[in-house]
Amino acid sequence: MQLFIEQLLNGAAMGAIYALITLGLALVYGVLRILHVAHAGVYAAGAYAGLYVYSHTGSLLLAVLGAMLFCALLGVLIERLIYTPLLKFPPFVPLIGSIAVFLALEEIFRLVGGPYILSFPAELPFSGITVSGVVISPAIISIYAVSASVLLLLWFIVTKTEFGLAMRATSQDREVAGAMGIDGAFTVSMTFALGSAVAAVAGILVGIYFNQVYPTMGAVPAYKCLALIVVGGLGSLPGAVLASLLLGVGETLLIGYANIPLPRDSLAFIAMIAVLLWRPGGLMGNR
Amino acid sequence: MSDYSITILNFIAIQAIVACGLNVIVGYAGQISLGHAAFFGIGAYSSALLTTKAGLTFWAALPLVVLITAAIGLVLGMPSLRLREDFLAVTTIGINFIVESVFLYVPFFGGALGLGGIPSIVFFGTRLRGANFLYLCLFFLALVLLISRRFTKSWAGLACFALREEETAASSMGVSPVRFKLMAFVIGTAMAGLGGALYAHQMRFISATDFGFPLSVMMMSMVVLGGIGTLWGPVLGALILGVLPEVFRPLVDYRMLLNAAILLLMIRFQPDGLLGEGSLLRRIFPKRGETSHG
Amino acid sequence: MDDMLLRLDNVSKHFGGLKAVDEVSFSLGRGEILGLIGPNGAGKTTCFNLVSGVYAPTSGKIFFEGASTGGFPPHRMAALGVGRTFQVVKPFATLSVLRNVMVALGQRRYGAVLSSFARWETPALRKEATALLEEVGIADLAEAPSGKLPLGNQRRLELARALALKPKLLLLDETFSGLRHEEVALLSRLVLDVRSKGIAVLLIEHNMKVAMGLSDRLVVLDHGRLLAEGSAEDVRSNPRVVEAYLGKGASSHAS
Repeated sequence: MQLFIEQLLNGAAMGAIYALITLGLALVYGVLRILHVAHAGVYAAGAYAGLYVYSHTGSLLLAVLGAMLFCALLGVLIERLIYTPLLKFPPFVPLIGSIAVFLALEEIFRLVGGPYILSFPAELPFSGITVSGVVISPAIISIYAVSASVLLLLWFIVTKTEFGLAMRATSQDREVAGAMGIDGAFTVSMTFALGSAVAAVAGILVGIYFNQVYPTMGAVPAYKCLALIVVGGLGSLPGAVLASLLLGVGETLLIGYANIPLPRDSLAFIAMIAVLLWRPGGLMGNR
Repeated sequence: MSDYSITILNFIAIQAIVACGLNVIVGYAGQISLGHAAFFGIGAYSSALLTTKAGLTFWAALPLVVLITAAIGLVLGMPSLRLREDFLAVTTIGINFIVESVFLYVPFFGGALGLGGIPSIVFFGTRLRGANFLYLCLFFLALVLLISRRFTKSWAGLACFALREEETAASSMGVSPVRFKLMAFVIGTAMAGLGGALYAHQMRFISATDFGFPLSVMMMSMVVLGGIGTLWGPVLGALILGVLPEVFRPLVDYRMLLNAAILLLMIRFQPDGLLGEGSLLRRIFPKRGETSHG
Repeated sequence: MDDMLLRLDNVSKHFGGLKAVDEVSFSLGRGEILGLIGPNGAGKTTCFNLVSGVYAPTSGKIFFEGASTGGFPPHRMAALGVGRTFQVVKPFATLSVLRNVMVALGQRRYGAVLSSFARWETPALRKEATALLEEVGIADLAEAPSGKLPLGNQRRLELARALALKPKLLLLDETFSGLRHEEVALLSRLVLDVRSKGIAVLLIEHNMKVAMGLSDRLVVLDHGRLLAEGSAEDVRSNPRVVEAYLGKGASSHAS
């Protein structure tokens, strides 16, 4: 029973991390209708940037802030240089561009940071807790705490601020939003910045949790999170979170606990196909 | 010509065959497929199994291989091609991952160790190796190109072009979108299966990781680089992307980055490919090439 | 009863809570020109899409030549003899004008897998396509890239493509919108020519003068419901119709 709860908590933690990454994808899809595969590259860049700042300053706070800023800029750069100029072409054109950017980023990480696995020896300012025999490590606590705060902040921004309104309007109909005075280009860039900053946080959390930062750490999330936004209903933010949590828990329980011999990474796609057969628009899609 | 060069050319020819198949799907019918490597793998594994476990010769197995790959293409294509663009893209990625997993985890396919001991192709008593194998590959490449060309001249091909341009308008003229997308998909996957069979007998040993998603991306890059929807585009793309790693060999460490950079530059500045309309090459050499356009 | 070419019988189309078309019934006889008019959002385009097969009715029945066709997909309706144009023109941009028409001429071939393998480029086909382009008056543009034509010619191309299907019913979706005077006059004559060949026409038109001038009868929709039906005179003087267009209270001011 203990083991089950521990696995459940692990799964939820993974789910929370997936959610942070997938949200960025959903936000981008919402405003540009592009599958931003390179987002996983931004996520990995966040881990590297965070590690770099941490190793030079010893401050986790600075690491997080530095990484968020760095990734926000990286995200906007990708949007301005690659996506926006390619919008007039059929969708597979920016998609291939995205894949190319992702591959290039992986290589840059390898060349700059080395092909080895780097460790992220962060000193968390609190220790783990044990609740009726279930051990909860400080890393897991930080994942819950940080992701909950980030999700709350995002929810606030999207639903309660003017910018959030601009984002939602632009994703519904960019032309009409423009006619109402919303600067589409600015909104899109800011959306990228926001999504990328959130991905940076996810990168640092993962780096600390697994104590691993390596060039291909984005490979699995790159495609798995695509399946997740599809399951959630392309562009649906609550859908992305729901799908992520379900997969995180599902993966860990089915494979870690029940030991079902399914390949871990395909589970997301199998689940996606199952969901699409049942609900062709995704769990919460309405497009 | 050295043995090594011939081996490289064999690979290029095989990849060109597979890329031509992808071109039918993406270029002629305008459907995205990022899982094409899976069908390449299905062809390879089918041929490997039929020639090792069932004891057939390559030639006897070949029609079955093409049939099996096409049949799986039909079954997977039917639900997938009804999906909208973005859903289709992710679904094809998923197909790639799932098929790869099946090859990796189901013991019948050899699991992580793959399948070995695949026999050489025997043609009228001679084992085809080296240059002879290349001739065989070139023969099949020519066949595939002929089929592609014939397709563009058929009503089915015209229907696919119309679908690619304006699906709503095409359907209002009697073109059933699902039927023709599926037709293109089946033709394309059958070609990939053929390439896979050749690959299996060239390598004599195959494993699941040979057919993963990165290969699908590579295939897509070939088609894009050469020119989507052109007849010779996939061949040119396969040639360039096959030769490039050899050219960059001295720059071993930067090879992958250069590949990615080239793909990025290509898609950013010349999405129609080298042989496509409005490309730099076409402007320098304005020859009426074989295109699918009117 | 069913010598009517097209009959809508209490047809509704709901999108979630929105009743785009609400229990609409009307019919169209062979060789008739029926105008479908109404203020914006009345459900006219939805009706078109229901008849041409883009949408399936939520309830009610659609009869074409006596057979129930509600829910048939567009390519099947095309095979049955329903041709349509699109308000936002949809040429096959990378194909030439002539080839656009050729695509439509292949309609018979698309039905079966084997017949679709035949070659399409034959002199006979060229002739047939050219003849259609001559009919609508753009034969000189045969080799022009269809994506780059001015609007008037694009509309004619749409018409030529629809006619290539040898339809029994032609759906014209705002074919006259955005056109200059002379073009409207030319296109109107073309529509009358089409009718004289025995092809029935159902048209959506915002241009009142054109709609009333061309149509034998009119059907007025408002908020998805059938508001009025009859000749141009009947409809013009119907207070409810005036109200729908100009708002309540306007009918008392109508001349």
